[in-house]
Amino acid sequence: MTNATAAKLAGYETTFITRSELSDDGLKALHDRLAQVVSSYGGEVVLTEDWGKRKLAYTIQKENRGHYTYLVYSGKGDIVHEIERNLRLHDHVLRFLTVNLEKEFDSAAFQKKRADVHAAAKRREEEREARREERNAERRGYEDRRTDYQDESEDMSVVESDEE
Amino acid sequence: MATTNLRSEMREKSGRDSDRMDKDGDDRSKKGSFHRKKVCRFCSDQDFILDYKDVRMMQSFVTEHGKIVPRRISGNCALHQRELTTAVKRARNLALVGYVSMGA
Repeated sequence: MTNATAAKLAGYETTFITRSELSDDGLKALHDRLAQVVSSYGGEVVLTEDWGKRKLAYTIQKENRGHYTYLVYSGKGDIVHEIERNLRLHDHVLRFLTVNLEKEFDSAAFQKKRADVHAAAKRREEEREARREERNAERRGYEDRRTDYQDESEDMSVVESDEE
Repeated sequence: MATTNLRSEMREKSGRDSDRMDKDGDDRSKKGSFHRKKVCRFCSDQDFILDYKDVRMMQSFVTEHGKIVPRRISGNCALHQRELTTAVKRARNLALVGYVSMGA
């Protein structure tokens, strides 16, 4: 890399899964360590997201649940090696995935984009919720009617048995 | 869901189908089979973003057995189907989407 392009760093995102039994302090220590690696390699941590504990789609090292952390940072290519080396050495990291985002990374634009994604997801979630609510209300209407009907039929049978 | 789609697709191909209504309730004309034009959801909806981190989105393009739904059924355009396959494979690596179906 020449000095002219040194100002523009590449962007990377790493998602890693840690064991759910790893304590918050342990996770924080790992975070600090990674942040330190990023800064020591002349990069910048753009975004960290904690997705919390999720159920894994399949078991990894006999674990059914895992704690997901999403990290976006910028730097030169060798930063990825160092980050992944650190993750590999850590006993509680089940899996990680690094994706190269852009050669010339604009952190402000990325943060904005990510916020937009979250907003869109939230909006869609709300829409889904509203639709579900509507459907539930409709179903409740049906159920009310059906119970009325059942009550009537029970009354009828009672009447019949009385006749006998 | 996807398997029924597949079945209807196969029925269309065989052309020896007695009932003329497909599952969407579209009336097929007597000459040949009616075909509803499928549109790529990623092209038509700007809000619908292709991302390997979005499990909800991914699940609509994966069968319950964990297979990626083919383009002729999902209606995706070639570009987005290509991007989708890599996204699903990334999500599989992160255990967000399964490789194979779980349980029975």
